[in-house]
Amino acid sequence: MDFTFSEREEMLRKAVREFAENEIPPKMEAMEETGDFPEELLKPMAEVGIAGVITPAEYGGVDLGYVARTIVLEELGRVCGAIPMAMQVHHMGCAVINDFGTDAQKEKYLTPLAKGETMGCVAVTDPSGGSDLLGMKTTAELKGDKYILNGRKCFITNSHTSDYWVVIAKTGEGPKGISAFIVDKDAPGAKAARKENKFGLRGANTGELAFDNCEVPKENLLGKEGGGLGVAIKTISETGRTGMAAVALGILTAVYEEAGKFATERVLYGKPISTLQAIQFYMAEIYSQLEICRLLCYRATWLKDHGMRCDNEGTLAKYYTCEAAVNAAKTGIEIHGSYGIMKEYAIQRLFRDAMVTVPAGGTGEIAKVVLARTALAPFKK
Amino acid sequence: MERIIVCLKPVPDPKQWDEVSMDPETQTLIREGIASVINPLDKHAIEAALSIQGVLGGEVVLLSMAPPSAASTLREGLAMGADRAVLLSDRMFAGSDTLATAHVLAAGCRWLGDNDLIICGNMSIDGSTAQVGSQLAELLDLPNIMHVIDLDLGEDGSMVVTRKIEHGFARLRGALPLVISVRKELNKPRYTSFTGILAAESKEIKVLSNEDLKISPEVIGIDGSPTKMAGIELRRFERAREKLDGSVDEIVESLAGRIYQYGII
Amino acid sequence: MSGDMNGIWVFAEQRGGELHEVSLELLGKARELADEAGKKVTAILLGHDIRSLSQLLLNHGADSVLVGDDPRLKTYRLIPYARVMASLVHTYDPEILLMGATYMGVELAPRVAAKVRTGLSAHCIDLRLGEKGQLLQVVPGWGGGVIATIACPDHRPQMATVMPGIMKALSAIEREDTVKEIEIDLPEKGLGPEVLEVKREKPDQLPLEKAEVVVAGGWGIGSQEDWKMIESLAELFGGSVGATRPPVDEGWAEEGQMIGQSGKTVRPKLYIGIGISGVMHHVVGMDQSEHIITINSDPDAEIFDTSDVIVVEDFRKVVPKLIDEIRARLKK
Repeated sequence: MDFTFSEREEMLRKAVREFAENEIPPKMEAMEETGDFPEELLKPMAEVGIAGVITPAEYGGVDLGYVARTIVLEELGRVCGAIPMAMQVHHMGCAVINDFGTDAQKEKYLTPLAKGETMGCVAVTDPSGGSDLLGMKTTAELKGDKYILNGRKCFITNSHTSDYWVVIAKTGEGPKGISAFIVDKDAPGAKAARKENKFGLRGANTGELAFDNCEVPKENLLGKEGGGLGVAIKTISETGRTGMAAVALGILTAVYEEAGKFATERVLYGKPISTLQAIQFYMAEIYSQLEICRLLCYRATWLKDHGMRCDNEGTLAKYYTCEAAVNAAKTGIEIHGSYGIMKEYAIQRLFRDAMVTVPAGGTGEIAKVVLARTALAPFKK
Repeated sequence: MERIIVCLKPVPDPKQWDEVSMDPETQTLIREGIASVINPLDKHAIEAALSIQGVLGGEVVLLSMAPPSAASTLREGLAMGADRAVLLSDRMFAGSDTLATAHVLAAGCRWLGDNDLIICGNMSIDGSTAQVGSQLAELLDLPNIMHVIDLDLGEDGSMVVTRKIEHGFARLRGALPLVISVRKELNKPRYTSFTGILAAESKEIKVLSNEDLKISPEVIGIDGSPTKMAGIELRRFERAREKLDGSVDEIVESLAGRIYQYGII
Repeated sequence: MSGDMNGIWVFAEQRGGELHEVSLELLGKARELADEAGKKVTAILLGHDIRSLSQLLLNHGADSVLVGDDPRLKTYRLIPYARVMASLVHTYDPEILLMGATYMGVELAPRVAAKVRTGLSAHCIDLRLGEKGQLLQVVPGWGGGVIATIACPDHRPQMATVMPGIMKALSAIEREDTVKEIEIDLPEKGLGPEVLEVKREKPDQLPLEKAEVVVAGGWGIGSQEDWKMIESLAELFGGSVGATRPPVDEGWAEEGQMIGQSGKTVRPKLYIGIGISGVMHHVVGMDQSEHIITINSDPDAEIFDTSDVIVVEDFRKVVPKLIDEIRARLKK
């Protein structure tokens, strides 16, 4: 067992931290105001290597794996959760093509995604439900050399900023009746529709996609026809959940720092409030959560990097870290007193941002369904 | 352009300066557990070197006099894009003052061969003497310019340099080889890219001792340094809270005096 | 003759025929040290058509002035200046050589020290005499967190640069002493970079975080009308205007000017806080400033705990006069 980061990983963390601390804060006010992703950051992030961190080198990425990606997302999230939120979904868009795409698809899509020339995402959730994949209503029908898509996707991160969406749609019935497609945003009949107005992670764009007899060339089928369920599950559980966990971990780190800073700077009764045991216990709680979540997040991605299954661990990390970020942010607000609910203090944003990570990529309840399956597996008769 | 040398100093991370304490017995600073970083202005020096390299080619070599542990700080400079690094490390160098440091760096420059341009940060954030650049240039018998805020490469290989002076600037034209010391206004250092971090892993950090450099022991290290530490004390951060008394005119007079004293007017 | 000129030297810095004030300050300190040690003070004046300045140097404490007047020294250039200084040192062998820690001095002093292979300490904040006539040089390090005392026991001259404004110039006394012209011997070539242009200008308005001077106002300013005083004062320094929360709420200042936990963090060379009570939320955004001057009529204002210089007075009385005074000094 080795719980240390390598020199390379330490340098990576330092590099992202420096970038994040310098480049993101000037954009935060506008993000909060408009709810738009600062697209001008995409290119500089790609230059550092953030956009293509898990993409193979032959497609313009740096191929550093999932532990590295967790470091990247955590460090970005420490400054502002919205940015790694957008990036993590962008990474899903990269991973899904890398895992299931043909050489021609990889050639065409992965390089510009890694270089930040384009942005990507994965669109699974229908208005009829997200986690209930089989109940989705979006359909794709092969007509000649084109698939015709109809339906809507909702709560899609990067909906309006992506150049391509990887869309999951029904091509038949049952678990084998689901397929994945790479849809160009300018495809006939495709539209980024409604833009959502979230209360947190405001700089990450979320919205609806609408397909009205949308024409998708046959070669844009991703994986096999009927293989879409596997595409969606692998991408969500391995890339999506570990990514969400890392975003929440970054937020949790920020909560810890904000709370600690306030507790030691705020003076009451002639002493910093951090000398009061009530506040010390709060800090101990936040600190413990942070340490536990770090272990969970890095273990899940370490497994992934070592070619082992990590769906269960990724789900656990996601579920636990997102909850912990919310709870810690709430505690952080308590430490701040009334200042905690004022917009000038970062802690309230961290609370809002943490809340938004909870349903993203599957709610806590869905996570528990998955975890219960694993928990009960040894007792199956 | 053949070679650009960037002098780099690893310094204790300013974010952790609060944690510095002093050993009352030995009168030395305890900086254990405090991470080393590239002296902030040296990053601007690296950026200057890399952007000149982008136009004129040549190699960018980082040069540092520091303990062997400084290799990781040099590695960060290599990750920014420098080609290789030379670390001058020897117990004999320990305790060098600025002149002795300049002797060591000058020997490192000579060891490298002919150098077109040597770039330093204007000062280090810890020692803040701003002396090594000029002293290094003198020992190498090269011209130098400090306080550099702009750089232009002339077509004839000359370099037009803008330097800061009180309330203004001066523009100078110099021919290579030249030593310059740069201020932060000069440029914005590039971010370290992941590709750069990977590339740096296979770049060379050559460690040289005084067996390689053969500098006379009389000019290096604590014994070879003309200046000696006569005492050191830690000044904990505390504001003076000095109240100005007297008539309004007297207060104003005294305020203006302070403002002048701070070097503002 | 030279026997009188091997004591304490002060490099008299001039640009465009104007003496830098630090030169007179150094003479003040040199005079004090020389009287204590029984030595003489010599000022070194280099330039062209600058002989008239030597009387000023004599009046402020120099026993003698060595004047190097030559067209080639008219505009400061490092290599000629360093050569001349070094050759003077070789000829006269002074005990101590002091220079201002100015843009010029910071560049020139180390070059001279390296040329004559002696020690130099930088940005001294105090100078004292120790045993056997040793010059003890007090220097700050680590952003001012450490104070070190430096000596140069075995090499001469003992060299130091001193921050402007730290030492006190003596009041001028009409004195007649020695002025000696020196021969300037410089080669044709190898004099280093040539000067193309020298320009003095008012510094640009900088963003709050980068400004060298920040003048900040609080609730105590009271009105948009009086807020203009804050702006005028900042403008005078080429500085930026900062604010606490209330002036932003009142519309006197912009949101982007707010300093503190929820605003910007500033670390200027000089922060002047006016009418600011000093609650923690503001203080954490400015307490790393190098120098802090605060003006508040409330003697118990919390901001005073984080101040170097405190003025307990109505700012309406102080600031307009301060503006006049600074303006007058800038004109000089």
